Amino acid sequence: MKEIIKITLSLTAICVAAALILGAVFAKTDHARKENEEKRNKELVQGLLGYGASAKAPENLKVYSVYRYVISEGKTLTLGYLVPLKDKKHALVQVDLSGKPGKVTQVDADETKLGERDTRDAAINGVLPKGAQATYAETFHVADMDGKRFGYVVEGTTQGFKTFVELMVSLEPDFTIKGVGIKKSEEDPGLGDEIKKDFFKNQFVGKTAELLKTLKVVKEPLPTDYLPALEPALAKRDKLSPDQVAKIKEKHVKDDIYALTGATISSRAVTNGVKDIVRKFVYRLDILTDALKKENVQVVF
Amino acid sequence: MNRNIQLLWNGFIPENPIFRLALSLCPAVAVTTSVENGLALGLAVVFVQVCSSCTVAIFKSVIHPRVRIPAYVIIIALWVSVIDMVLPVINPDIYEQVKLFIQLIVVFAIIISRLELFASKEPLVPSFFDGLGMGIGFLFGLCLVSAIREFFGVGQIFGYDVQNVLGFKPSLLVMILPAGGFFVIGFIMATFNWVEYKITGKVPASGGGH
Repeated sequence: MKEIIKITLSLTAICVAAALILGAVFAKTDHARKENEEKRNKELVQGLLGYGASAKAPENLKVYSVYRYVISEGKTLTLGYLVPLKDKKHALVQVDLSGKPGKVTQVDADETKLGERDTRDAAINGVLPKGAQATYAETFHVADMDGKRFGYVVEGTTQGFKTFVELMVSLEPDFTIKGVGIKKSEEDPGLGDEIKKDFFKNQFVGKTAELLKTLKVVKEPLPTDYLPALEPALAKRDKLSPDQVAKIKEKHVKDDIYALTGATISSRAVTNGVKDIVRKFVYRLDILTDALKKENVQVVF
Repeated sequence: MNRNIQLLWNGFIPENPIFRLALSLCPAVAVTTSVENGLALGLAVVFVQVCSSCTVAIFKSVIHPRVRIPAYVIIIALWVSVIDMVLPVINPDIYEQVKLFIQLIVVFAIIISRLELFASKEPLVPSFFDGLGMGIGFLFGLCLVSAIREFFGVGQIFGYDVQNVLGFKPSLLVMILPAGGFFVIGFIMATFNWVEYKITGKVPASGGGH
């Protein structure tokens, strides 16, 4: 009996000490980690719009985030879009499932509060009537330059080989793909993880919404002349001018996606994810623009 | 020879965790598809092994012998969580590469076996050097296996093509797949035993196996 108490005490003491150390480390690092994550996210969005470490984004490029929520009120489901307004405030625009615009509610909260997931969820649930529950679905970003539409970056998730792959797709104003980014994935290193490589991601560039509809994955080797145009490092090695690269890409723009060796499932997952994200986004943006016009919401973009 | 240096050397070759003790072969096969991965995971293991060995060496009088294994697991999990929280702050880019493997370190056989066999019996300083030696031995093993696999599997070393230097590019897909990992580890183990046989003239004893 005495030994059991001793054992219990010693194990409890170890657990408490470990918990205290972990708590202290968490408190010290949590803020910096979230900041880093946000910064990475922002860099990813800017990188997909064509600006990055090498080419700094110009001052007049403005990126606005729109958050999509699914709102359940009793048995009825509506969709809520949190949009930034011209007077620096935000509004929650509700649209029902058939696409008919509904209520528009003002959300009074500053930019930083809405940037973070937890505080944003609280702010939105705060303005909804009692009994309604909003669940976060996804984000898309609208980029404007000098008052003209510059492009979109849409986030989305797709089922990968083992876990989910979080994707970002950057689109031209006419919904041609400008770039694909992998935000988060846990594919096998050396196999499925190759989806992060430029030569795979860049195969999507230039595909129009029309081409995407019939796009599929083929198990064929990547044509040798196509590869240098997809990898910037190889284009440099082969001394290809930007014109030549554009020409090769033009020649292959109607090609299907060439599967990665040993990772057909991951290749298919990304391809289907991109197709799905673009198809849904085009449909949703149409409805949202319509709703904003009908309800006369003064959005900033 | 100084005992501490001997302990360091011991973990590096005579009791190399992968090739001699045959411990933690799972991660050694799973992550060694590129040298970058092997190096990053190896460094994380060095950190966790050294910290856990030191912690156990200091607090071994407090740990009740009947529950020492759960206590060791808590200590290992503590250091793994610490590195999992600190690394994304220090260097988010490297963390993106290795975050998949870091949490796996908790269940590595090599770490808990060193705590049980060495740190729970010896004072702080030898435990530190034993942990460091074993960690470096593991790091060396991972790098060796991953360099061979990356070279034969995709014709690269550290992500650079060998084609420019050699004029050809090996691409044996099987080397990148898990089966290739076992082949490579088996061949290196055989080489180790053969060298030992040539030097000492004795048939080497077989490893632990996990």
